[in-house]
Amino acid sequence: MKVTMPNLGNLTSIAGKALLSNLGHEVILPPPNTKRTLDLGVRYAPEYCCLPLKIVLGNFIEALERGAETIIMVGGWGPCRFGYYAEIQRIILKSLGYKFEMISVEAPRGNLLQMLNYINRLRNKKSFPSFMGAFKLAWAKVVAIEELEKEALKARPRENIRRETSKILKKGLSLIDNTNSIEEIEKIKQKILSDYNRIIKANKNKDLIKIKLVGEFYVALEPFVNHHIEEKLGYLGVEVERGVSVVPWISSFLKFFRDNKLQDIIENAAEPYLPQSVGGEGQSTIGHIVLASEKGMDGAIQVIPFTCMPEIVAETISKKVSEDLDFPVLTLIYDEQTGEEGLVTRLDAFVDLLEMKKIKRHLVKI
Amino acid sequence: MGNLKIGIPQALLYYEYFPLWKNFLEGLGAEVIISGPTTKEILDLGVKSAISEICFPVKVFYGHVMSLKDRVDYLFIPRMVCVEKGVYFCPKFLGLPDMIKSSLSSLPPLIEPTIDIRKSATNFKNSFLAVGKLFTNNSKKIYQSFYEAQRNLKLYLKSKENELDQKIISQQYNNKFSQGDLEDFLNIALLGHSYLIYDYFINLNLISKLKKVKVNVLTAEMVKKRDIKRQLKKLYKPLFWTLSKKAVGSAFYFLEKKVDGIIHLTSFECGEDSLIGEIIHQESQKYPSVAYTEFVFDEHTGEIGIDTRTEAFLDMIVRRKRYESNYA
Repeated sequence: MKVTMPNLGNLTSIAGKALLSNLGHEVILPPPNTKRTLDLGVRYAPEYCCLPLKIVLGNFIEALERGAETIIMVGGWGPCRFGYYAEIQRIILKSLGYKFEMISVEAPRGNLLQMLNYINRLRNKKSFPSFMGAFKLAWAKVVAIEELEKEALKARPRENIRRETSKILKKGLSLIDNTNSIEEIEKIKQKILSDYNRIIKANKNKDLIKIKLVGEFYVALEPFVNHHIEEKLGYLGVEVERGVSVVPWISSFLKFFRDNKLQDIIENAAEPYLPQSVGGEGQSTIGHIVLASEKGMDGAIQVIPFTCMPEIVAETISKKVSEDLDFPVLTLIYDEQTGEEGLVTRLDAFVDLLEMKKIKRHLVKI
Repeated sequence: MGNLKIGIPQALLYYEYFPLWKNFLEGLGAEVIISGPTTKEILDLGVKSAISEICFPVKVFYGHVMSLKDRVDYLFIPRMVCVEKGVYFCPKFLGLPDMIKSSLSSLPPLIEPTIDIRKSATNFKNSFLAVGKLFTNNSKKIYQSFYEAQRNLKLYLKSKENELDQKIISQQYNNKFSQGDLEDFLNIALLGHSYLIYDYFINLNLISKLKKVKVNVLTAEMVKKRDIKRQLKKLYKPLFWTLSKKAVGSAFYFLEKKVDGIIHLTSFECGEDSLIGEIIHQESQKYPSVAYTEFVFDEHTGEIGIDTRTEAFLDMIVRRKRYESNYA
């Protein structure tokens, strides 16, 4: 099968590709997100859909143009709109006249046979052990990528040579991309982590502003969509901590090896403000903000796509959380109109405020 | 216990459940105060107190809460999560009481039963019974008023369904008449959330305007549940929102019945409608004889704009009927 899937940071372009190509499929990835991706998505998607749907639709169009025949997309069963994306995208692409098949990976509901059929086709006549082997390798890559990206957030604000961290990260990612053994991945990971450590050690005692990055999954993780917010904050001398990460998301999706403990801590933290899960990352956004404040971080940034349903609930409530805990929260809403300069100005101002707040707090202590 | 004053904002799910809520609370001996139809003041209050990115109907809801909060002892804002297996309400309904509590101050206490049948099959009933406990310990009374209220809701829904029967019959009868008065018998289906269709302030009196120009107005409430269920089988993937299921099912039904036109009312930033609008639009392409349009409402919607669009839409249908009797 000529398979494609949406872009999501370095996740699909490395781990997803590894999984499918090891299963013997021809992988045709969409080109990296560009203005054209966005324009295509905006042109054909319904107006009030959120940005992720539009960009992913653009991805699919660009991949189909390159000859992909099967689309793999993640689905779900609500209440967030995300669960219905694959179906809407299928309808739109069909109406545009593309010939393809959409495989929506989701918990089967009533249609177990179709699900088994999909799995069988993805398995591509490979034996069960080699199927699992491909999975394990891809999973190892996911875990490694995630860890390297997270650790880079610590090194970046401490680097002496600008962009050094990003260079190391990029090198590490391409090494991971090119390897096919789990031990090798582990070795690469250790090597890159020690490179980071060198940077971190050089400026170990620097008192940095610490910001938690929370919000909607896709916007938080796709650098094109959030205008490389992690890097921008890093260069402003901010240590960013991700509230949204891929590993727990996929594991919650696969149901087995789910980290219930972590999820419970987050939900308990959100409980006084939002006891009900509202779909998407709504409740964990609130939970993460509360936890970040308890941990003594300086602030939080919530990134959400315009019209996102769960995150708007979270945004409304985060105002109250921020007031109660005296913890600054900046909400950034992204849509196709979001401009780079506006974003930079707001980040600058927010970081300035946090710095001033920090100085004030130290003065009071003395 | 004296008569407690309980406020119900007349917005959002009020339009789906008011016979149940009102009768239940009244049966318990409470005095129910309903905020009344939306007005300019209510809308302004809502727009001021809600965050700007939230959808228009929730802003209206905020306005209703603001107008009620100083004259009641309790506010009744149920958290409707799930009333049907595997199907939810919009995330904004799931977090509605929390949003209200977070952004409005000096509120009276909220009565916020969580209705979520995923927890247990009898959750719908039980959460109401729990609300009843706030008022009286007489469980017989609680049960009685709950069943009474539920019967009222059923009667209300039934009466709405019957309206369509009569209308479709009269339509078929009318069709035997000459072509001259075609305008008199236009069947236009108004689709969308009930809080848009029945809130005359938000939709700028659209229903009575349509009725004035002799249009048979059909709504989703008029379609039988089993018809909706049958229509929804056309979907490749089942929907997981209660309100959208109703809208899509009835839209497909009206398309199949070949009504003259469908107007889909949607509001600014409505998440569900952005998707189901696309589904209905795509399906309507298969029925070229049914005209389809979409009206988006928000706090800036002007009456003249809607009037013009309605007129143009109706004119188009009439002209097509007159001159293009054999369109493909």
